[in-house]
Formats: sequence, structure tokens, C-alpha cells
Amino acid sequence: MQVLSYTFVLLWVITFALYYLVPQKRKWQILLVAGLVFYVVGLQGVPVSLLLSCVTTYGCGIYLRESLLAQRTALVNCTDKESKKEVKQGFEKKRKLVQILYFALHLGLLIFYKYTVVTLPVLTVWGVPTGFFEKVIMPLGISFYTLTAISYVVDVGREQCEAEENPLKVLLFLSYFPAVTQGPFNRFGKLKEEIEKEHIFDYDRMLRGIQRFVWGAFKKLVIADRIALFVDTVFASDVSAVPGSIFAAAVILYMLQLYADFSGYMDMALGVSETFDIFLPENFKRPYFSKSVAEFWRRWHITLGTWFKDYVMFSFVMSGTGRKITRTAKKKWPSMGRHVVPIIGTMLVWLLTGMWHGRTVGYMLWGVYYGLIMSISLVLETQYTSWKEKLHVKDGKAYGFFCMARTWLIVFVADVLIRSESLAQAGAIYRAVITRPDVGALFSQTVTSYGISKYGFLLLAAALGLWLAVSVWEEQGKDVRAYLAGWPMPVRWCCYYGILLVVLITGIYGGGYDTAVFMYQSF
Amino acid sequence: MEEKVLEILEEYCEEALSYDGDSMMEDGIIDSFTVINIVSELEEEFDIEIDAKYVVAENFKNKEAIIALVERLLEE
Repeated sequence: MQVLSYTFVLLWVITFALYYLVPQKRKWQILLVAGLVFYVVGLQGVPVSLLLSCVTTYGCGIYLRESLLAQRTALVNCTDKESKKEVKQGFEKKRKLVQILYFALHLGLLIFYKYTVVTLPVLTVWGVPTGFFEKVIMPLGISFYTLTAISYVVDVGREQCEAEENPLKVLLFLSYFPAVTQGPFNRFGKLKEEIEKEHIFDYDRMLRGIQRFVWGAFKKLVIADRIALFVDTVFASDVSAVPGSIFAAAVILYMLQLYADFSGYMDMALGVSETFDIFLPENFKRPYFSKSVAEFWRRWHITLGTWFKDYVMFSFVMSGTGRKITRTAKKKWPSMGRHVVPIIGTMLVWLLTGMWHGRTVGYMLWGVYYGLIMSISLVLETQYTSWKEKLHVKDGKAYGFFCMARTWLIVFVADVLIRSESLAQAGAIYRAVITRPDVGALFSQTVTSYGISKYGFLLLAAALGLWLAVSVWEEQGKDVRAYLAGWPMPVRWCCYYGILLVVLITGIYGGGYDTAVFMYQSF
Repeated sequence: MEEKVLEILEEYCEEALSYDGDSMMEDGIIDSFTVINIVSELEEEFDIEIDAKYVVAENFKNKEAIIALVERLLEE
């Protein structure tokens, strides 16, 4: 079941009605059943992997809680610092072992499902029978609920949230249906708070949720899927036959397509959840206004970035190994030694981020590329101020635009790697853009021969203009939906219906193009 | 102790001293690299070990939260 489908809307409406009809203590059960229906219909089978994840996550949480309690009791009987340290280390060692086994199982399953397809040709070459592996289908949302489950286990171990007594609530946490396929990544403590607070029906909140859902559909169907027609045609063409400027336009549009597609989904997920009075964390904060790559990644897929920062970066830097490397590096290079561990951590995080997103070498290079840029920025950070002074560069609007353009350029280079069919194609595109730009092609009839007509481009430009206007407004801290709510009723409703009609009339449907598939779902 | 923490903050993130909100990490005042450097300096200065479980937005939401964290770890 896709979020953009009649069946999903039907499930949403039925769940919504039941949710506000049943008493408070039963509301979470309605959400759980809805999640399972969504999952079972989507998978067309029993979600074995999800259930296994739930059972092990619940069990691990309870074990960690009991171990922490036993540790506290044992520490009461210790009189000196040394014995306290010994008791603590004993318990920590056991907890660590259980957590390592848990991570191995979950990450092992994720890698198995994600990389089986890639290993098939290798197995064939080796003469290994591939019949079993060919039947392996990646379970819906496994990339998302695996990381969500790991965050729960780590948080319980770090005493940042309480272990859940009820296994069905753990199942709800993992399978909360607006977020199960693409996120945002929830933290158990926060989602539990949201789910367990008192929920009373509120007409305005329901309306706001629906508005956000429709706005997400606008971004997906009117913008992202229209851009896809052009981008897919250009990238399927022979690079030598297409002018560099057309490729440059296709890559820039691809950057916007990815953003419209993924943030569109997030608007829909957050909108649906808002109607249940459950507020999920924001995943995007207008990343293309960023003045640096680091800022871009603080505004793009925020919950994934936070996940990697909290559970990989900080865990590595504060680990025994991380501390040992820091001490040695500081002794060897007194001024720069402190950067060594953050750089290793950054490279590790970005390599894993690349591998999480895709299975190709292009994705790995994409991760390494961002890791290197972040690391170089870290080392050169102190130099920037003196360079700016020497070059008499002053902070202002012009410099701000320059920084934004620089961020776009860096993302542009990275996105060629992940959109190209192969590294050879990526290389050919870079060459085409630099050596034979032929800018005139952008203003000739040629541009309309790649999947979008002249009117299609005009419509796309208008939609992008509207999106930009809304984004600029939001960037200034304004709440567009609250502003609309202040308009006279007839004008307001004309506006709501207008957007809905635009989505229904100008959205890209059918014609062999599968509108329902979201790009990030394949990650 | 408080003065020393503020000195470290001044060295790595001067903005943190004048910040009066309560979400320094989310507001982009302090990034993960700066957090790592501050943690490393605090550990050296006060001979404490700041485990990854303490490196959360709540403990780095403003300068007062960082001082409170050091106080807590010194008492342990």
C-alpha cells in the first residue's frame, strides 16, 4: 500500500474515525491495528521480519532494564570506589555483549536483504545455486524500522528512555504507519509521549493535517513526478548526443525532484499524523537555503543525520578506541591532533550513510565525497576568517548568495554520482557539462524533446515559483497555514480547493509512469 | 569550575556564551565537531570521563546545562 493511493486514504479515514470514537486508553491499539493492516496489505503477507525485530527489541529492552536495576542494587552494597568500578564494569560487559549480538542480528538482516540482489551475479559466477536468493524480497520499511529499533535499544542502555513493558507498544513504535516506509526516524521516548498524551478531536488541527497532506501531494505529483519525466529521459539518452547544458539542467532538476519527492512524503506523513494529534519530528528545513554543506545536512533528512551523529559518531569518538587515538594524535600533532578522531568518525558516518542509501559504488563514492568535504571544512575552519579578511570579503547578501551557490554546486557534483547509471556515465556527464555546455540548447526547441512540453515547463515553473514563495515565507519564520486560516472563509476555501484541483488536474498520473513509488522508499 | 567551563566555551564557541535559548545544538550554535572538542577539553581539564550517553542535546542546550553536566560528573 502506497501513501498516495485510495486504499491508504480509506485506511486513514477509517482509522481517524475509530481513533476519536474509542476511549483514550484504546487509541494506541487502533493505530497499531492500522499499522499492521498497512503493512500486511503492502507486503501481501505476514511481516515475519518486523515481528522478529519487535520480539528481539522488546526482549533486549527488558534485559537491559533488569541489568541496570541489578547493577544499582549491587552498587548499594559496595563500600569503596574500586569495588564499585569493578561491579559496574562486570554489568556493562554483559550488557555490551547482548547489545552487540542484537546489533549483529539486526544489521545482518538489513545487509542480507539489501545486498542479496547485488551478490546474485557473483554467486552465479561462483556456481552457487541462487534459487533461494532470487526469492528474497526486501521487507517494506526494513531500512527504517531497523534503525528505529536500534535507537530504542541504545537509548534504554544509556538510560535515556524507559524499557517498554508492553511488547505491542514496541510493535506500534516500529510500525507506526505514517512513518514506517520512509521515516522520519522516531525516538521511542518522544513518540511514546506523543501517543500517550490525551487526544481530543480538534477541527482546526484536522484541517491543518489535511492541508499538509495535500501540499505534500502537490510537491510529489505536480513537481517531483513532472521533473522525473525530463530527468529520466535525459539520463536514458546517449551522453554524447545531449548538450552539456541539458545535462546540467537535468541534474539541477533532479536535485529539486529528490527534495520535492522526499519532503512531499514527509509532509504527507506528518500531516496524517497531525490529524491523530501525534506530532512527528520535522525532517526538512529548507536545505537549499544552506550556506554550507554541513548546514545543508543539518536541514536535509534531519532525523537520519541525528541518528548517525548520536549512535555512530559520538559512540565512536567517546569509545575506548576513539579516546586512545585522540591521546596519541594530540601528542604527535599538538595543534591538529584533536581533529583526527572527528575526521575518522565523519568518514565512517558518511561511508555508512552512502551504503544505507544505495547498493552501488556510486553511493559509496557519494558518501566518501561528502565525508571528505566535511573533513576538509573542519580542518580549514580556522583559516576561513583570515582568508576572508585578506580578501576583504564582508558578510552580506552577496556573500550569502555566493555561499548558497557553492552549496548547490557541491550537491550538484554529488547527485550526478547517485543519479547516473554507472560511474562511466557520471564521468561523461561531468565532461559534457564542462567541455561542451552549449547553453543555447536550453533556449531552443531541443529542450522540449526530453519528455516535457513547453506548457509542461511553464506549469513546472509556476509550481516551483509557488513552492519557492512558500519556502521563503517559512524561512522568515512565518506559518503559512496559520496565515491562510486568517483569510475570509470564501477566499480561504477557494485557495484550498484551488491547490487540490491543481494536484488532481496537473499531477502526473498513469501513462505507464508509476506515480505512487517514492524515491526514498527504495533506500 | 564554572569559570573554567566558560573559558573552554569561549575558546571553541564564543556564541554559546551569549546564547540565551535552550536548544543550542538544534539552533546551529554548536555543531557536532565543536561538541567533541568541548567534551575532550572538559575531560582533560576536570579529569572526568564524559560517556556518549551524556552527549545529548539536553546536556548541551545552553552553557548552564554544560556546567550542570560537569558538576554532576564531578560529584559521581
